[in-house]
Amino acid sequence: MCLDRCTHRDLVSCVGWTTADELYSCSDDHQILRWNLLTGDTSVVVKLQDDIYPIDLHWFPKSVSGKKQAVSEIFALTSTDGKLHLVSKSGRIEKSVECHKGAVLAGRWNQDGTALITAGEDGQLKIWSKSGMLRSTLAQQGSAVYSVAWSPDSSRVLYTSGRQLIIKPLQPSSKLLQWKAHDGVILKVDWSVVNDLIVSGAEDCKYKVWDSYGRVLFSSSAHEYPITSVCWAPDGELFAVGSFHTLRLCDRTGWSYSVEKPSTGSLLSLSWSADGTQLAAACGNGHVLFAHVIEQRWEWKNFEITLTKRRSMQVRNVLNDALDVLEFRDRVIKASLAHGHLVVSTSLQCYVYSVKNWNTPLIFELKEGMVSLIQQTERYFLLVDGAELYVYSYEGRLVSSPKSPGVRMDMLNSQSVSLSNDTMAIRDTTDERVIFLFEVLTGKPIGDGKPFIHKMEVMFMALDQCGSPTDRRMALMDKNRDLYLTSVRTVGRAQSICKIGSMVDSMCWNDSANLLCAVQDNQLTVWCYPAVVFVDKELLPKTICTKDHSEFSRPPRVLSYVGTQVKVRRVDGSLVCRGMSPYPTLLHEYASSARWADALRLCRFAKDQTLWSCLAGMSMASRELSTAEVAYAAIGEADKVQYINFMKDLPSKDSCLAHALLFSGHVQEAESTLLQANLIYHAIQIHINLYNWDRALELAVKHKTHVDTVLAHRQKFLRDFSKQESNKRFLQYSEGVEVDWQKIQAKIEMEFAKEREQAANSSVRSSVSIRR
Amino acid sequence: MAKDPLAEAELHFDELNKLRILEPDVSQKTTELKEECEDFVDKIGQFQKIVSGLIELVDELAKEAETEKMKAIGARNLLKSAEKQREAQQQQLQALIAEKKMQLERYRIEYEALQKVEAEQNEFIDQFILQK
Repeated sequence: MCLDRCTHRDLVSCVGWTTADELYSCSDDHQILRWNLLTGDTSVVVKLQDDIYPIDLHWFPKSVSGKKQAVSEIFALTSTDGKLHLVSKSGRIEKSVECHKGAVLAGRWNQDGTALITAGEDGQLKIWSKSGMLRSTLAQQGSAVYSVAWSPDSSRVLYTSGRQLIIKPLQPSSKLLQWKAHDGVILKVDWSVVNDLIVSGAEDCKYKVWDSYGRVLFSSSAHEYPITSVCWAPDGELFAVGSFHTLRLCDRTGWSYSVEKPSTGSLLSLSWSADGTQLAAACGNGHVLFAHVIEQRWEWKNFEITLTKRRSMQVRNVLNDALDVLEFRDRVIKASLAHGHLVVSTSLQCYVYSVKNWNTPLIFELKEGMVSLIQQTERYFLLVDGAELYVYSYEGRLVSSPKSPGVRMDMLNSQSVSLSNDTMAIRDTTDERVIFLFEVLTGKPIGDGKPFIHKMEVMFMALDQCGSPTDRRMALMDKNRDLYLTSVRTVGRAQSICKIGSMVDSMCWNDSANLLCAVQDNQLTVWCYPAVVFVDKELLPKTICTKDHSEFSRPPRVLSYVGTQVKVRRVDGSLVCRGMSPYPTLLHEYASSARWADALRLCRFAKDQTLWSCLAGMSMASRELSTAEVAYAAIGEADKVQYINFMKDLPSKDSCLAHALLFSGHVQEAESTLLQANLIYHAIQIHINLYNWDRALELAVKHKTHVDTVLAHRQKFLRDFSKQESNKRFLQYSEGVEVDWQKIQAKIEMEFAKEREQAANSSVRSSVSIRR
Repeated sequence: MAKDPLAEAELHFDELNKLRILEPDVSQKTTELKEECEDFVDKIGQFQKIVSGLIELVDELAKEAETEKMKAIGARNLLKSAEKQREAQQQQLQALIAEKKMQLERYRIEYEALQKVEAEQNEFIDQFILQK
């Protein structure tokens, strides 16, 4: 952080940003000042009446869905005389309402600006409409409410009650959540819109981070002075803590990045600019303090980039210690380094550097200059700029700009967007169960345009980065912390979703192969071939390798998985690097280029069960039966080897495919494949084998063939288990049909002969003998 | 001696044979007294001048003493506050040091992790070379 500051004549009580470079501040000298950071000007907006001592200021939320509003026009100002004032940008008091006895200690708009809540010294919480009409009194208590915050979905309100924190839903019948949070009076709370975390600061000189269920995630040690202000950064990755002579910048997990000790008295209020790069603080001695976040670092392979100043970056190539300095015309807002490219957005332009050449960046103008998110893939990168989302190629060409009604693009964050080379997934901002999928090249929704809907709120999702578009898969983590895998493009098949893990905290796909890394149950876990669930579910546990992380007391966060290196951030803030085996990546490479002999050689060389299991899954997925046979044999799955052998001997391609589907447990698809190929006997036979009697009979009756076969097998089954026929349909059909095993055998022989003939005719496979 | 009628009338002649009401000695003494008185007044005046000068001087001294005293008090206070300031500064520096220490600890852990990775990679390379 670097600091600079200016001054008021008396204690500054509150600050609020309008744009990224303009700040309003209110002070006990009754003045409202406007600070323009670009020109360095400070001007008096208005001098309030002498009896108004402002306490809290909150700007009306900027972008309200529907109409585009670049700058908010009014703000709510609360004062010691129990009034709420709605003040316009020019400083005119549009409306004043008497709302509390004693001072109004806090006033906050909800996320979409439809309601305002005020908290007073009299212990009341009141909700107001946008125009300043009283809607309801939400709560009433014996002690003053010092601070209040809205939940991300604006359906609940968090407020302080002495040493306790209370979350109260707006719906009158719902239960409130209340817990003792601190050993001193709680002075400030804030609730992050992005990550649903709560931070609180109190007179016991501690700040704590909570989740929305009231569980403590972090508790700081006691500092010298009470914590007077806390504030989440807009991206939810950082929060700032203010105290007497102290400004602290902390990570969302609680550990602190940096501390500054300015001589400014207590920091009474903090406010982040919308782009999250600047922080303003209201100081007890009449100063307004501006802080800029610097020293951010990005690492990728052998490059290390540091934001040294607001407008310059230093690039260090670790291999040869070469230094490059990148200078920008404006302040750097966001940057991202991955896949061999550095993308930097300033307040006006976007710079794209290649790691091969730091001298000539590609520069293009931004449409709004309010970039809140950058995500990269091998070929494209996306920018969320203001209320729009753009996908660019590294040549600077605008590829597409997907749109979806109802999704507020400006609210997107790294957890609600995922980009791959061909597909993009966006989580709905209103209903977190819904995920919209888009084609990157056209910006159109995938398939029939229906979004993917999970049964529960999705916390985080990620698309895999490699392989062909048809095999694109999405891993998602829901509110129960279960990890699921689903196919994005499902041609003619029902959308299947498989659970592959539970107790998952964070996850990341590998950048060069479809390996998935996650922290599961405090252990670093790598799914070497997650797609195996669609082929052979039982193999999944065998394709997982875990790294024992006994040194992790609490779950770390996976930051990146580049090459063979997994980078995780522990709860105490230290970065830990973990090396993973390079073999799975190699195996993926061989499998995708169908070099099965090489894959086998690799597995034999590595002698690793996990690797063999992966190979079994991969070869099965691409119907490479002979490789699969070897792989399954290596992991000792004799039953599967036998089944594969049986499949190899099948006469036609269609039945082979059907049995491969059956192998993966897709009975329905296997049946339809067979019926399409007019192999009705096979379809009936698989149902008989599965003891799926009703369907077998139904098919037989429908196609008027092999009814006796079904009946014969049914009788045999009943006899073996010494049961009586109870199924009405079987009773009905068994009356007119005589069961003759010899005839049936002959018929089956005929079916096989017919199929063989067909196969020979279409010369798909050379003639194979049947052993059955 | 026969009574001088003039003396009886309380009139006298002086040496210049001027008629006088006062006796010549008395008159002479009176004059003397007057002269002496003038002398005295003069002397008193002088004395006053000297004394006022002295008072002025003492006042000045007092003033100077006062300022010196204030200075001394100021200096003493400054010393005290400097002590406090140092303490505050020390506290601040301590806080910053604690911060840096934590950062160092984080770097240490990162370094150890990287060392581990290096060892693993070396081992892998060795294994690879041996097997081939």
